[in-house]
Amino acid sequence: MKKIEILKLESLSRAPMVVEGYLFEGSDPDAPSVAVIGAMEGATTLPLYSASKLVDFLRNKLGSEKILGNILVIPSVNHYALNINERFWPLDKTDINMMFPGYNEGETTQRIAHRLFEAVQDYDYGIILETRTDLATCLPYVKLFKTGYEDVKSARWLGLKVIHHREPESIETVSLQYNWQLWGAKACSVVCPHEPLIDPASARVIMDSLINFLSHSGIIRYEAFNGYNSTVVTRERIEVIKSPRSGIFIPTQKPGTTVSKDETIGKIVHALEGEVVHRFLAPCDGMITCIYMHSLIFENAVAYRIAKIH
Amino acid sequence: MNPEITEIFSSELPVGETLRIQRARFAPEKVRPDAKRISVVSGIHGDELEGQLVIYLLAAWLREHPEALRGTVDIYPAVNSLGVDTIIRGFPLYEIDLNRAFPGARNDFLPAQVVHALAEDVEGSDIAIDIHSSNIFLREIPQIRINKAFSEATLPLAKQLNCDFIWIHDAVTVLEATFSHTMNERGTKTLVVEMGVGMRLTKAYGRQLLRGILNLMQREGIIETPTEFKVREPFTSEVGEVFYINAPAAGLFVPALDHCEVIEKEQWIGDIVDPLSGAVRESLYAPNGGVLFTLREYPVVYEGSLLARIFGESDEKN
Ligand SMILES: [Zn+2]
Repeated sequence: MKKIEILKLESLSRAPMVVEGYLFEGSDPDAPSVAVIGAMEGATTLPLYSASKLVDFLRNKLGSEKILGNILVIPSVNHYALNINERFWPLDKTDINMMFPGYNEGETTQRIAHRLFEAVQDYDYGIILETRTDLATCLPYVKLFKTGYEDVKSARWLGLKVIHHREPESIETVSLQYNWQLWGAKACSVVCPHEPLIDPASARVIMDSLINFLSHSGIIRYEAFNGYNSTVVTRERIEVIKSPRSGIFIPTQKPGTTVSKDETIGKIVHALEGEVVHRFLAPCDGMITCIYMHSLIFENAVAYRIAKIH
Repeated sequence: MNPEITEIFSSELPVGETLRIQRARFAPEKVRPDAKRISVVSGIHGDELEGQLVIYLLAAWLREHPEALRGTVDIYPAVNSLGVDTIIRGFPLYEIDLNRAFPGARNDFLPAQVVHALAEDVEGSDIAIDIHSSNIFLREIPQIRINKAFSEATLPLAKQLNCDFIWIHDAVTVLEATFSHTMNERGTKTLVVEMGVGMRLTKAYGRQLLRGILNLMQREGIIETPTEFKVREPFTSEVGEVFYINAPAAGLFVPALDHCEVIEKEQWIGDIVDPLSGAVRESLYAPNGGVLFTLREYPVVYEGSLLARIFGESDEKN
């Protein structure tokens, strides 16, 4: 394993931020290569944890002779945000994942994006560990943009339950996944649950998915247990459940749970008077893919998304 | 005259409060069928307040001159009303930039519902003006930003607005998610004003833009008054180039110039210093002569932070 410096940034009063990549060189020149990007944001740690555990696995558990293709893992791109529980770049609050392909003469986060993008461009596959942008937590799933260059087959190698296959929004055209695909990598995102503390169960699911990917792609020689035969879900299949009332939101099911129509999935309690003012019932048979992730909820906020069963 | 106040969006908040996004409408009792409608929007970013002053001045003018009104004037002073009252740029809690969430949808997450409500309400206006104050980092002279794709329709209107500079820029996919792009696509000629700095009011700019809006409304027949609103001739980016100066190093930026100065090539713009060691880390010089129309207000910089923008003639013409 080689530690390589991806970028270094000085600051007025903080210690310099040094972003490092862990490069595992494979023994088989014909094997494909992959780059895995961990936390581009702060305020959530699963992407960071999962990427760092992958480094640990490759370095201490696997045995270097089993690494066939090159693997680059960059666990954190945004130490400055992670260290103070900010979500975006702490000074100007810009999102690094909205700055691709980056620009080395531009603003700070454009430069960070540029240097990161340069470092990962030549890889065959790309996996980005990220969280949802919309104040919701979710089951671990694959987000795959329809760009004309996306690769559903390799996204399946992750073995996660769901692949959300959809058109990118206009602002997502500046995301890493979109640009990486355009530059020829088979890139996808693993969307991680948003958890204040690491839940070992969901961390395990993500870790297993990464190992599944490495093994199915022939990048490592390792007999992993198979994951799920992923269901590819498009936007039309997602049912949105908005909250008709505001108050204290108490979900009673978790993301990833299969529910039947009319089953109770949560409630809203009046914030001052304590009574239950609304019960959420599943509008259809399906699986809860994501849930609003704050205990106080606004009227009309999206509380759940459910992938319908046909 | 008192305007008619309408709630264009409301949402009960969790603890004993309701979020409201409001519009005030000024219109004569009888509006002629051919009379035009203008919408003036601000506070899409919660930390930008210059637009609030302009809208106040406009509303106050309309109250004083009810007899002049021929068309409909809709004002939306605080689109991100929660943000405006909490000095938060994005939609609080969600950390979403509302000007990257258009056109939005009724069935999407809350910030998208808010922008959807605004776009639906403004739709049908002949003209819309969206007033921004740069952000807390930069100070801007009054300027209009125009997307090239719509410039044929919007440039003539922009010239009426008494601003100093009109910046015509190329379309970027990201800008499709803005208010102005959405409204221009829907047939409302929409102009974006940037002026001043975040979290502050620049009174002179407020009066300058008010005059421009009144002038535009007069020309469009929305108001009829004997007063003549003289406006300045803006320079436009078609006749020159915009030069960016980004920080080559981190530190504390100490400007050497005043905002809006006309400067020469190689002129000293300022230093990036290190308070701890007392060293000057970098000195900055103008890459080209022209007008310093953007100057950094917030002094802490990283490598890449924008320090200044100069509008000047490009080298080939020199
Ligand atoms: Zn703004």
